Amino acid sequence: PAPPGWLPALQLLRRGSKAVTRHWKAMHFQRQKLLAVTEYVPPRPAVPPRCLPAPRDHPQEEDGYARLLRRQVEQVFRSSRMVAVCQYNSMPDEDMVTMRHYLRKHNIEVKFVLNEIVRPVLAQSKYRNLLPLFVCRNILLVSPETRAREMLRVLKGIPQVNLLGACIDDTILSRQGVENFARLPSLEASQGQTVGALALLPSQTSSLLQRGPSHLTALLDEHIRRLRDTGAPGEPPPEQGKGNH
Amino acid sequence: PAGPGGVAVPRAGLKKLVLPPDYSGITFPEKPKLKFMEKVPAVPKVRREPRRLRDIRGPSREATDFVQGQYGILALGGGYLHWGHFEMIRLTIGRHMDPKSMFAVWRVPAPSKPVTRKSLGHRMGGGKGPIDHYVTAVRSGRLVVEVGGRCHFGQVRPFLAQVAQKLPFPAVPVSRESLQEMRREEEEKRRNNQNPWTFERIVTSNMLGMRKYLSPYDLQLQGRYWGKFFLKHRV
Repeated sequence: PAPPGWLPALQLLRRGSKAVTRHWKAMHFQRQKLLAVTEYVPPRPAVPPRCLPAPRDHPQEEDGYARLLRRQVEQVFRSSRMVAVCQYNSMPDEDMVTMRHYLRKHNIEVKFVLNEIVRPVLAQSKYRNLLPLFVCRNILLVSPETRAREMLRVLKGIPQVNLLGACIDDTILSRQGVENFARLPSLEASQGQTVGALALLPSQTSSLLQRGPSHLTALLDEHIRRLRDTGAPGEPPPEQGKGNH
Repeated sequence: PAGPGGVAVPRAGLKKLVLPPDYSGITFPEKPKLKFMEKVPAVPKVRREPRRLRDIRGPSREATDFVQGQYGILALGGGYLHWGHFEMIRLTIGRHMDPKSMFAVWRVPAPSKPVTRKSLGHRMGGGKGPIDHYVTAVRSGRLVVEVGGRCHFGQVRPFLAQVAQKLPFPAVPVSRESLQEMRREEEEKRRNNQNPWTFERIVTSNMLGMRKYLSPYDLQLQGRYWGKFFLKHRV
């Protein structure tokens, strides 16, 4: 490169107007050629971007609100024993409030959930098989105790809410299953029945063991009675007490 | 989302709540509106000055970055602003902005360069004419006004574009981010230019004796400036 302050011997800059003009000054042809040669050439990738698959937009950063709702849904699934999924069609507000009131009396809460939040939560948890239920507008009836009979009774009177399925005590039940479950006796009654059935045999053990001696006692009593009946002056043989067995 | 029969079924999802913009670090100057610029400086010049047009040529060295505001008008060419332009800018911006939530600041000084005009209809000769009015010189890449406050770019852009159109040189409304973006793009273009022949290379090494047809100023201007014009598409 030339040293600073060096000027060429000849310069063709003394003709026409000054350097800075209000109008667009006509360029020397050589300068035009130089500008044409040194134009910007954009890079050409080997594969044109038209042939490549469209670049996916990066997923937008997660909404704090969506995260909160997801946490709430997880909490609901963890804390409740019974989760029933129902289809919800729009119904008048007062009917909705009445239904909520009746269900609240049986300690059942009504929760509105958005499918786009519940689906990822379920997909990662163990309730994967509940995914097909969350398609249309739905509500969740959650409760820490399993009172299917009262729930069915309430829902029978409301045509706009249809039970699709339920997950009771980590068991997935369909609509039929829930109805059968409701017809079962309550847990306490069935527990009592089982305990009674199990305790039946042990309760008979003592009577079984006492069968021999009690038979002997009955025979001896019968013998004494007969002797007393037949020979009044005859001395009755000494009674064998019941203490020798 | 298409439903049965190909008809689009509208579907409502979760509302994406957007946080409102944060205007915490903004200090308002005492007077939010633009100051009135005098037609003639306080001490009017007696001596007539030569018409130094080189104060229009080339890139600007001062007022190229934002100081107080967030949005402004960037000059993309050289020119002179006289009192009429100043009044137009002051009144248009004052009419469109809200002094309670926005402020505007000048980035050019008041007119101080005297411009002479000979009276109409006379022949050449008879000396230099008397001073007619005063102007300020503006080079390309300089900010003319800055606007800031509790407002977003979309609010400010329409009237800034209106003002920019009426200036004697090409100008665009910019924000801090858009100016940064412009500079970044320029830098990227310079870096990924596939042409092995650049103006800079040819001029500094005087290939083919090109400097015979070019000015010594082209060593600094690098073919991006021609007179008062700024060639945006170059390199």
